[in-house]
Amino acid sequence: MNKTRRLLFQIGAVLILAAIAFCMMVIGRGHTVYFDNKILEYDDETYEPPYKVTVYVGGEQVAKLNAKERGMATTIGQDFEMELKIMEVKGGDETRETYQIKLPRTLDGIVVNLPGYLAGLPEEAWMSEFVPIVTESSEEEEVPGGDEFEMEDLGDF
Amino acid sequence: MKNESFGKKILNFIGNNSVPILFVLICVICIPISGFSASYLINEIVTRMGRNIFLILCLLIPIMAGMGLNFGMTLGAMAAELALILVSDWQIWGIPGIVLAMILSIPFSIVLGTFCGKILNMAKGREMITSYIISFFMNGIYQLIVLYMMGPIIPIKHSNVKLPRGYGIRNSVDLIHMRQYLDNLIAVRIGGVKIPVLTFLIIGVLCLFIIWFRKTKLGQDMRAVGQDMNVARDAGINVERTRIISIVMSTVLAGFGMVIYLQNMGNIATYSSHSQIGMFCIAALLVGGASVDRASIGNVFLGVILFHTMFIVAPKAGAMITGDSMIGEYFRVFISYGVITLSLILYETKKRKSKSLVGQQLAQAQKDEEEKA
Repeated sequence: MNKTRRLLFQIGAVLILAAIAFCMMVIGRGHTVYFDNKILEYDDETYEPPYKVTVYVGGEQVAKLNAKERGMATTIGQDFEMELKIMEVKGGDETRETYQIKLPRTLDGIVVNLPGYLAGLPEEAWMSEFVPIVTESSEEEEVPGGDEFEMEDLGDF
Repeated sequence: MKNESFGKKILNFIGNNSVPILFVLICVICIPISGFSASYLINEIVTRMGRNIFLILCLLIPIMAGMGLNFGMTLGAMAAELALILVSDWQIWGIPGIVLAMILSIPFSIVLGTFCGKILNMAKGREMITSYIISFFMNGIYQLIVLYMMGPIIPIKHSNVKLPRGYGIRNSVDLIHMRQYLDNLIAVRIGGVKIPVLTFLIIGVLCLFIIWFRKTKLGQDMRAVGQDMNVARDAGINVERTRIISIVMSTVLAGFGMVIYLQNMGNIATYSSHSQIGMFCIAALLVGGASVDRASIGNVFLGVILFHTMFIVAPKAGAMITGDSMIGEYFRVFISYGVITLSLILYETKKRKSKSLVGQQLAQAQKDEEEKA
């Protein structure tokens, strides 16, 4: 009886920890969102970028984009909220509005084309995956491999 | 007579607390020479307290079980690093990343701790040197996993984690998206000093847990095993199992502590972060006045304050005195190793003294009996 109870407690503890870990994996997924203030061509139509867009995330300004420029912000979780301050033409009035985007969990870097998004196009038109260009490192990193014993300093501890 | 006993008391106090007193003296001499302002020093010490205390507290449980200073805490540090590498590659950021790394480190720590505990059961009486060597052995396995298995066998996706050759982990893994998230979640600034309240709350919870744990059945068993294994066995305690549990608990807590430590630092030195962590944590505990068979939470706090004050001021004081900051750097490493050696010598001397005192008392009692007869 005692053993069964202990086993049940152990299984319960493992399940609770697994559930917490799963929740953390979902809510803690980090993304880098890139904002493109660039011309978009979709369905034979051209969408021109506004003259200037200022992007705020979490109340902080993360990018100030003129036409043809790209900015970025990092976010945790799939619900991304941004505030855009848009100036359509030079010297024109500025409008400020909050937008919410549902980010796909599987993508690390997400490119959002602002003219397409503001025009209300379908998601596949303005959202794409950011694929970083991996540059070959000229020198290999030195990793442990020798059999020497070193008395190393920990540096900052 | 009264004066003599007072003098003896002072001598006893100095004898029993020689290491902390020595460090207080070093600090008292070095602080003015270093020229650091009080606010800078306090800020640094508070930061380091938040970073290190959890790691050092994990050493208390094996001491309670009579297994001495657990150099095997390095295994917990390795478990935490493996977990953090995976979490970093999965791009789980912030507090969820820290929590996930802690949870993920638990199975690694349990496996490593059980292995270490079983070996230590085969080397009773020589636990410290055995755990020290186990940490070297396990470092080899860790390097095999991290250098060759991560990539081809354990999937690693991101190029900022993986070596350019396509397998193995980079020398340094960036934890920028976790850096000081725990420390900054609830932080208070008092007179320019940042106090990481949440980190201290977590440390406080661990302290309460240790105090509570000492009073539980398992805690009492550990203390009994620590006092005398044979008596504990005769009393029906499963000595081997109790010792393994103490090492597993210490390893799991060391894993949590390492996650807290690394989130504060903001990056993992993949092949070296864990290598000397045991040594420095043990040195800090000993500086606080602990010994191989006796340590308290107070020793941990005092040790961290004194050891880290020395760590902060030594390079600058060395540079001011000799004109070469490297002297100070060597000095603090030398002091760390030296304090462990000194404590071990003092412990052994005391043990032998008390043994010979008991022997003398027995001989005297026998002589008295013979005289009476």
